[in-house]
Amino acid sequence: MRLNTRNGITRQVMAAGLAGVLLLGACSSSGSSGSSGGSTDKALLIARSMDINSLDPSRSYCDTCQIFMTSVYETLIGLDKDNTTLVPRLASKWESNPAQTEFTFTLDPKAKFADGSAVTSADVKFSWERLHGLQASSSYLVSTIKSIDTPDAQTVKVTLSQANSAFLAQVNASYLGIMNSKVAIANGATIDPATDKAEPWFLANSAGSGQFTLASYQSGAELRLKRNDSYWGKKANFPEVVMKQTADAVTQRQQLEAGSVDIAMQISNDAAKGMNGKDVVVSQVPSYNFVYLAISPGAKGGEKLTPKVREAIRLGLDYKGLIDATVGGAGQAQASPIPNGFAGTAGLAAPAQDLAKAKSLLAEEGVTSLTLDATFPSLNVYGVDFTTAMQKVQTDLKAIGITLELNPVEISVWADKIGKDGIPVTMLYFAPDHTDSSQYVQYFGLLEASQWQTWARTDVSQSETDTLSKAFAEQDATKRAEIYNQLAKAMISDSVIIPVVNPNLFLAARSDIKGLYYSACCNLNISDLSRG
Amino acid sequence: MTDVISPARRLRRGRPEWLRGPALVGAIAITVWLLVALTVPLWSPYDPLAEVAPRLQGPSWHHLMGTDQLGRDVFTRMLWGSRTSLPVAFVVILSSVVIGTIVGAIAGYRGGWIDAVLMRFVDITMAFPPILLAMAITASLGPGVRNALIAMVLVWWPIYARLLRAQVIAVKQREYVESAEAIGVKRFAILRRYVLPMAYTPVLVNATMDFGQVVLLTASLSFIGLGARPPSPEWGAMITEGATQFYSWWIATAPGLAILVVVLAFNYVGDALRDSFDVKGVL
Repeated sequence: MRLNTRNGITRQVMAAGLAGVLLLGACSSSGSSGSSGGSTDKALLIARSMDINSLDPSRSYCDTCQIFMTSVYETLIGLDKDNTTLVPRLASKWESNPAQTEFTFTLDPKAKFADGSAVTSADVKFSWERLHGLQASSSYLVSTIKSIDTPDAQTVKVTLSQANSAFLAQVNASYLGIMNSKVAIANGATIDPATDKAEPWFLANSAGSGQFTLASYQSGAELRLKRNDSYWGKKANFPEVVMKQTADAVTQRQQLEAGSVDIAMQISNDAAKGMNGKDVVVSQVPSYNFVYLAISPGAKGGEKLTPKVREAIRLGLDYKGLIDATVGGAGQAQASPIPNGFAGTAGLAAPAQDLAKAKSLLAEEGVTSLTLDATFPSLNVYGVDFTTAMQKVQTDLKAIGITLELNPVEISVWADKIGKDGIPVTMLYFAPDHTDSSQYVQYFGLLEASQWQTWARTDVSQSETDTLSKAFAEQDATKRAEIYNQLAKAMISDSVIIPVVNPNLFLAARSDIKGLYYSACCNLNISDLSRG
Repeated sequence: MTDVISPARRLRRGRPEWLRGPALVGAIAITVWLLVALTVPLWSPYDPLAEVAPRLQGPSWHHLMGTDQLGRDVFTRMLWGSRTSLPVAFVVILSSVVIGTIVGAIAGYRGGWIDAVLMRFVDITMAFPPILLAMAITASLGPGVRNALIAMVLVWWPIYARLLRAQVIAVKQREYVESAEAIGVKRFAILRRYVLPMAYTPVLVNATMDFGQVVLLTASLSFIGLGARPPSPEWGAMITEGATQFYSWWIATAPGLAILVVVLAFNYVGDALRDSFDVKGVL
């Protein structure tokens, strides 16, 4: 059974992504095997700058977590390679009422966890209730769930608090993966953050039904997965997957060219130059990932960041220069926090610098000079070096009289600071969790307790809340895209989240690796990879 | 009879004995860098923070050491980098020598329990590798040049304290010091007039040799993100940026060369001073 997500991702972006897949497939079929190639019994080695915050399925929320979750904890619904079509995974079929308030999933009776026990509706109920209960970063994905009933071991009936035509896409998010509730509970898992004690256990163990299980994790060094030999479906092509912490693009390139790894995941445009060869294949595809500047008026020191000052900052940025400086031109400007290609972005004007208007807005607010703390995580994500990007932002804003005090810090220090006092100006990144535009409104919009309403400490926008409800209730894809377009414009107007670059993705692998493509839900889908 | 001396001979006559060969080269390099640090704002080729050309351009006549990832002139930034590294090194060495002298002189001259307490503290500090201790202190104080400077002073002063203490113990046993004590000269006066002048040479020589090491440590702390903040044109921070643009070799090469020249220069001068003052056994 296949259902369309009706999310409205444009054909052009999809076609480009698919072209990347085909290009890699073509290259890999004609390439010779490298030093790491040959046997299918060899581990798959991946060089990656890992951003893991947790390996607890209800707490993890990061790009690397998406890969981990997809490999170890299966969702009820999967996403096909076209990044559009939803396909059965743990659920063999599903249906909803016309009002989109009740969804019924039928679990595949063959599905079982790595320990051999069957995947039941009770496991689904516990996994989603725990995700909701722990109120972690990804909990927004289940915020519309009102109740979960389990009439029998194979049936899960979900009732939502409001109509939600994006619910199936949300179920596809890797963070809604299902854990073995009996094993998790035996190791301290509960649905209450006050009593839950399972997070340390999940750092060394897993309880999923995916093609892999967690073998070991060493923070800052490597994440090691081993093949689940009792997997209920098609077994993985690799006995082991090792993600090696490799912070920068240059080292990733060197490791890939030397054959020390099979895939390098964060090659930058500058590092990719001259890289194609008989042993290595590199292709460039558009992505839905983006890097953004975040302005927090409620942060300590951000008191002068009124809507007009925030708009001045948005108009003060040289977007083309930012794309050149950060990814050497291999990317696009992005108008709103909803990335190019998602429903609601058609017709949005690309952001452009307007210094005269920016200065005028600052003058209206009586701001002649303004100094702001700009603490940001010292990261290199999607080929974008944040220190370089923030220096460019600093230079741009200096021209309109705003001085940024740049303070690159470790991500943990950054997280501590933004949680405690907030940060007036900072930089961060986002990759899609699923295929519907609602995620961007839920994460970046000024909804009650959304991630950035909380971090930026802004007033709640009732208008955005109501409009999102309308989008959830709307089942016609075209009309829903129009509503998302309104939300995109509202978020542009908020000027709390200012996307600075939507970088192209460089898929770089040894020539004997087949099946590498960019997944809109899961980053990298290891189950589709093989060596040959 | 008139003694006719050529200008060259006159110059050689005025030059200290130790200032020859590598030491002379080192002294010239140090002088040049000091002049650059003092005067570069007056004649800087470009603004070190401004985008002046397309990014990642290789060396050319217009940009002797190319441009970086933001289109800034790397040569200009290298020159301006001396305005961070050299003053920081100077303040670190001066502060460390002052603190080390006070502690070492008191410990060496007074001896007893004061000596024991002070030297055990010195021992504890010196038990840690300097770079690790400096990193730990800077990380706890927070990144930045000021905090890196404080950290380096805390790491460096015990070296001078221990060195001076040993010298003071040796000098205070000499007869003329005992004579001064016998005729009732106050202890502080003895220390200042008779002991320190005789004990201080190894400290000065060591300070010269350490100057280059402090430049290197400053760059190291910036390299790992604990020193200068972006967009400051500091040598270590520039190397970090160059490392992310590995295939644009000139970005990291320019500040690397600057560090190499300064460190070598101070080592050459320090070596010559050590040989000249015959303090090899002490250092």
